[in-house]
Amino acid sequence: MARFVIRRVSSMIAVLFAISVLTFLIFQAIPNGDPALRLAGRLATPQTIQDVRRQWGFDKPLYVQYFKTMGKIIDGQVISYQQQQNVEDEIAHDLPVTISLAVGSAVIWLVIGIIFGVLSAVRAGQWLDRLLTVIAMFGVSMPVFFLAALLDYYLGYKWGLFPIGGYVKLTSNPWGWLTHLILPWASIVALSVGVYSRVLRSNVLDTLGEDYVRTARAKGLSERRVLLHHVLRNSLVPIVSLWGLDLAALFGGATLLTESVFNLHGVGQYAAESIGHLDVPPILVITMLTAFFVVVFSALTDIVYAALDPRIRLTG
Amino acid sequence: MRKGSKWSSIVVFALLLSVLLAACGSSSSSSTSSGSSSGATKTVTNLMGTAPDYLDPGLGYTTQAAEPDWISYTGLVTYAHAKGAPGTKLIPGVAESLPQISADGKTYTFTLRKGLVYSNGKPVKASDFAYTIQRSMKLNWGGKSFFTGNIVGAEAFDGGKAKSISGIESDDTSGKITIHLVAPYGAFANVLAFPSAGLVPTGTAVSNLSNKPPPGVGPYMITNVVPNQSFSAVKNPYWAKEEIPGIPAGHVNINAKIVTNTQAEAEQVLTNSADVFDWADTLPSSILQQVQSQASERYAKEPTVSTFYFFLNTKNKPFSSQKVREAVAYALDRRALSRLDSGFLAPACFFLPVGMIGHPTGSCPFGDPSGAPNLTKAKKLITESGMAGTSVTVWGETREPRREYVDYFASVLNSIGLKANEKIIADATYFSTIGNLKLNPQAGFADWNQDFPNPSDFYLLLDAKSIQSTNNQNFGQVNDPHIQSELAELNKVPSTKLESVASRWQALDEYVAKKAYTAVYGYEDDPKFMSNRINFGSAIFHPVYGNDWTSWQLK
Amino acid sequence: MASEAAIGTDRDGAEASGFPAGPDLVHPGIGPYRLAWRRLLRNRVALFFGGLFILIVVLCLLAPVYANDIAHTGPNVNHITDVVKVNGKSEEVVSSTGLPIGPTWQGRFLLGADKNGRDVAVRLLYGGRNSLEVGAIATLITMVLAVIVGLLAGYFRGFTDGVLSRLMDIIWAYPALLLGVALGVMLAVSGINLGLFELRGGSLLIPALIVGVVYIPYVAKPIRGQVLGLREREFIDAARVQGLGNLRIMLGEILPNLASTIIVFVPLMLANSILLEASLSFLGAGVQAPNSSWGTMISDGTRYIPAAIHLVLVPGLMLVAAVLGVNVFGDGVRDALDPRARIRIER
Repeated sequence: MARFVIRRVSSMIAVLFAISVLTFLIFQAIPNGDPALRLAGRLATPQTIQDVRRQWGFDKPLYVQYFKTMGKIIDGQVISYQQQQNVEDEIAHDLPVTISLAVGSAVIWLVIGIIFGVLSAVRAGQWLDRLLTVIAMFGVSMPVFFLAALLDYYLGYKWGLFPIGGYVKLTSNPWGWLTHLILPWASIVALSVGVYSRVLRSNVLDTLGEDYVRTARAKGLSERRVLLHHVLRNSLVPIVSLWGLDLAALFGGATLLTESVFNLHGVGQYAAESIGHLDVPPILVITMLTAFFVVVFSALTDIVYAALDPRIRLTG
Repeated sequence: MRKGSKWSSIVVFALLLSVLLAACGSSSSSSTSSGSSSGATKTVTNLMGTAPDYLDPGLGYTTQAAEPDWISYTGLVTYAHAKGAPGTKLIPGVAESLPQISADGKTYTFTLRKGLVYSNGKPVKASDFAYTIQRSMKLNWGGKSFFTGNIVGAEAFDGGKAKSISGIESDDTSGKITIHLVAPYGAFANVLAFPSAGLVPTGTAVSNLSNKPPPGVGPYMITNVVPNQSFSAVKNPYWAKEEIPGIPAGHVNINAKIVTNTQAEAEQVLTNSADVFDWADTLPSSILQQVQSQASERYAKEPTVSTFYFFLNTKNKPFSSQKVREAVAYALDRRALSRLDSGFLAPACFFLPVGMIGHPTGSCPFGDPSGAPNLTKAKKLITESGMAGTSVTVWGETREPRREYVDYFASVLNSIGLKANEKIIADATYFSTIGNLKLNPQAGFADWNQDFPNPSDFYLLLDAKSIQSTNNQNFGQVNDPHIQSELAELNKVPSTKLESVASRWQALDEYVAKKAYTAVYGYEDDPKFMSNRINFGSAIFHPVYGNDWTSWQLK
Repeated sequence: MASEAAIGTDRDGAEASGFPAGPDLVHPGIGPYRLAWRRLLRNRVALFFGGLFILIVVLCLLAPVYANDIAHTGPNVNHITDVVKVNGKSEEVVSSTGLPIGPTWQGRFLLGADKNGRDVAVRLLYGGRNSLEVGAIATLITMVLAVIVGLLAGYFRGFTDGVLSRLMDIIWAYPALLLGVALGVMLAVSGINLGLFELRGGSLLIPALIVGVVYIPYVAKPIRGQVLGLREREFIDAARVQGLGNLRIMLGEILPNLASTIIVFVPLMLANSILLEASLSFLGAGVQAPNSSWGTMISDGTRYIPAAIHLVLVPGLMLVAAVLGVNVFGDGVRDALDPRARIRIER
C-alpha cells in the first residue's frame, strides 16, 4: 500500500508538472501573444513595452519565467495579467459557485442515473427500457451550451419559471440559490444521466446473471431484496468510481460552458474569460487544479476498487 | 412501485451532501458587507457589461474605469459636466484657473486651489501632482506615452536615468505648478484632464490599488471593490457642495455591478430591477424593440465621438492603388454595417466624427453613405486598376459585432472582384497583432474612440510618425506629405484655441476622405437607458465619459 | 457535451481481459461478425437512426447543389440590405435594428437568415460538411494513434508502456476543453509548419487534429488493457514459437482481435468529436470564420436569443439529430457485437 501511494503521488507530481509546462509553452507560442504588448496598452511606445517586459520579468529566459510563476502559484502570490488581480483570491471567491454547480448536478445525475438504470435493467427490452434509452441517448447527444441556452430561453425567458442567469449565495438566500441553480444543474444532469443509466443497466444485467444472485433467488428471497441487497450493491461500485472521476472533470469541463451561458461567475467562467484574454496565470492555476482533482480522484478510485475486489492488484 | 426506505435515504443523503458541501464553500467566501456611509443617501445600481480594467486611476484606461475615476480623481483641469459640445470644454479642476501657456507653447503654469483635501481628509499639496504623474508612469499606464513624449525629463525618468521628472516644478507654499514641454503640443491640457493625472497623495503605494483605490479629490470615492463583480462609488464626506465650481456634488451613491451577459443586463434595467445600462454595451437587437416600445421615455440613442473604419494597407497591393481604395469606398453599404450594430452605427465617410472639431460638413466624395452602394462603379474601378483577383487577407477580432463587420467586408471585397479571406483572432491579441509591422496586414477592422476632444487624438492614427515596429496604430501605414505638413502645424495649437483652426482640420479631413486612405463606415451611437426610478431628463450623457454619475438623481 | 471522459473500469486489464476476443464468441458454423451483423439487422431502432445519420451526411454533401439551384447564394455571401418576397409581401432580410428574418419556408432563406443576412439553410449544410469532416478526421486520428499506442504499450510493457501510459495520463488529466481551446487559439493564427507537413491557420484540420489528440487516451487505455490480456494467450505463444517477429504478431495476430473494440469505438468517437468541436467553437477555437460548423452556428446564435431563436434551434437540432443517429446506431452495433457489452458510452 505504501509503495502504491508513493508511486501514485510521484506520478501525479510528474503529470502536474508536465501539464503546467505544456500550458506555459502553448501560451508562449501564440503569435503576438506577448503579454507585455497588452499590459502596455494600445498606445505604448517600444520603450514602454520594454519597461513592462522588464518589470514583469518577460525578458528572462523561459525556464526562469516558468519557475518564478510556479513559485508564485505555490506561495499564493500569482497575479493575473488582466486587471492584475491575485489569481488564487479570485478562484477562492468563485469556488463556492462552481462547487454548488458541480456537486449539486453530480448528486442529481447520480440519483436519477441510478433510478433510470435500475428501471431499464429490470424492464430490459420492454417499452420503459426503450424510452429511457432514447432519453439517455438524447442527453449524451447534446452540446451542453445548446441545452443550457434552450433551457434559459424557454424556461427562463419565455415562460418566466426561473430567473435568467446569475448566482445567489446560499448563505444569503437559500431559496434564491436553489432557483438560480436549477437550470444550470439541469443542463449538466441531462448530459450525464444517460451515461450513468446505461452503465448501471449493463452492470445490473451482468450481475443478474451471476451465480450468487441465482443462489439468492433460489433461497426464496423477494425480488426486491435480491435487487437491492445483492445486485445493486455490486453494480454500484463502478458507478461510484466513475462518478468521482466525472465530478473531478466537471471543473474546467462542462462548468466552463454552463457558467458562461448562465453568467454564474464561477471558476469555469473565470477560466473561459481568462482564455478570452489569453491571461496565462489563471489558466495555469485552473488547469492544474482540475488536473489535480482528476489525478487524485482516479487514485482514490483505484484504492476503493482494490479494497472492494481483492483480485485487483494495486500498481502505480 | 412503492419506494423502499433505502431509496429515500440515498436521496436524502445525497441532497444533504450537496447542501453541506456548497455551504462549506459559501462560508469561506469573503462577504464584505457594503456599509453605506450616510444613511440618507439613496443608492443607484449601475450595471457594467465589462469590468473596469483598473479602478486605480494610475492604471485605468477603459471607459468603464474612466466613469468612476473621473468623478473621484480630479486633475489640474477637467471637463465641464454638460452634455454635447459644452461637455468637451476644459474647466479648471484642482487648479484655480486654466493654464497660462507661454508664447512658445512649451510652458504650462497652474496654481493649486487653496484648502483642498483628499477623501481621507489630508490636505492636497502642489508636489502631489508630480508624484501622481511619476506613479502613473512607473505603473506603466496605457497612455504613458502622452507623458513621456511631451514632458521634459519624463523620458529620462522613465528610463531610470532620473529620480524625478525635471520638467515638472512645484512649490507647496505658493501652490504653483510649472510644466515644461519638449515641443509645443496643443492637446496637452487634454492630457492633464485624464483621470490618471487626477491627484493622489504623495506616498501612495506604487502598485495596482484597484481593490482599494487610493484617496482622491472629487465628489465621489470608490469603495467596496469586489474584483470583476462589483464596487461602489459613494459620496466623498470631505467634498463640500460646489467645492470646485462646475463639479457638482452628486445626489446618490452608486453601486456598480458587472453583468457580462448583455441580455440579462438589459432585462434588469427594462424591468427596473437595476437602474442603469452600460452605455458602452450594445443593446441586444432582440430586446431593442421592447425597449423602444415599453421604455421609450427612459431610453435614448446618444452619439459618441468614435470612428469605425477598415484600414487599408497603402504600402502594398492592392490598396496601394487609389482606384482600389475608391472602389472599396463606393462598394461598402454602410446601412448594412449599421444593421450589424443593431442600428447603432451612424453611416459616415469622414475620419473625424460628428462632435469633433474639424468634422467636415460637405458631402462624401464617393457616394452618399446613407444610400445604396455603387457596386457597378466599384467593379469598374477594380478592373481599371488591374488588381482584379488579387488576394486580400482581412483581419478581424472575435468580439461582436466586429467579426460580423469583417465577415461583411470580406463578402463585399469578393463581390467586387478581389479574393478575400478572413483571419479572425482573439480580442486580446488583435491590436498587437495588426500593430506588428512585420506582419504587414493588408486590411481589417479598426476603430478609435476619442481619448480627449481634440482632432489630433484621431490623427495619431494617420500620422506617419506613429508608424512603429510594435503596437503600430497607423495600421494602413499612411504616409502622405500633405498630412504630415498640416499636422506639424495643427498639433501645436492649444486645445483652448482649437476653434481658430477648425476649418483647416476640416480641409485636412476632406483631403483624407478624397484619398480614401481608410474605409470609414460609421460613428457609433450608444444607448442611454435607465430604470424608471431615475430622473432621465436631468441625467447627463457626457461626450467624453458617457454617463455622468454626478447628474443622477432619483425621482 | 463530451468534455471529460472517464475510463471507468478498464484499469490494467483487470476487467478488460474479460473482453470478448473473437474466438470465444464463435458459434458453430457462423463467424462472430456475421452473427453480429444479423443481430444488428434485427435492431430496427438502431437501423433507423443509422439511416437518419446517413441521410444527414448525404444532405450535407449536396450542399453546393442546394446553394446553387435552390437558394441561389453561397454560404458566406451577405445579403444584409436585400429584400425578399415572402407570401407576396416584401420583407427585409435583416431589419434596421439588426434582427434577421426567420424561416420563410421557400427557396430563398428557407430556414431564415443570420445577422449577416446569410442563408441559414445553406450555411447549415456547408457547416454540416465541416462538422462531419472535423468529426471524421478527428475520429481517424484518435483511432489510429490510440491503436498504435495501445498496441505498443500493451505488447512491450515495461519501459515503453511506462512512457506511453504517462503520456496518456497527461492528456487524460489535462482538462479537455482547456487543452483544446489553448491549442486552438495558438494554432488559429499561426497554423502548423513541420517541414513537409503544413497547415494554414484557418484549416479545418486544426480543430480536427486537436479533437483527435484530446481523445486518444480514452481509446488507448482500454485497448492497452485488452492487448495485455491477449498477449498472454496460447495463440500468441504459438506464433512466437513459430518465430514470427513482434510486428507480425502485433499486426497479424493481435490487431484482428481488437477489431470489435475498434468498431464499437468508432461511432462513439465520431459522436464525441462532433460534440467537442462544437464546444471548442463556443469558446472560439473551432472552425474559423467565415466558414461555419454546427457548433459555431449555435454559439453565434446564442447571442441573438431571444429574438432569433431559429439561429440556435436550426443548427442545434441538426447537430443533435446527427449525433443521436451515430450514438443510437453505435449502441446497436455494440449490442450486436456483444450483448453483454462492457464498453460503455463513457465520456
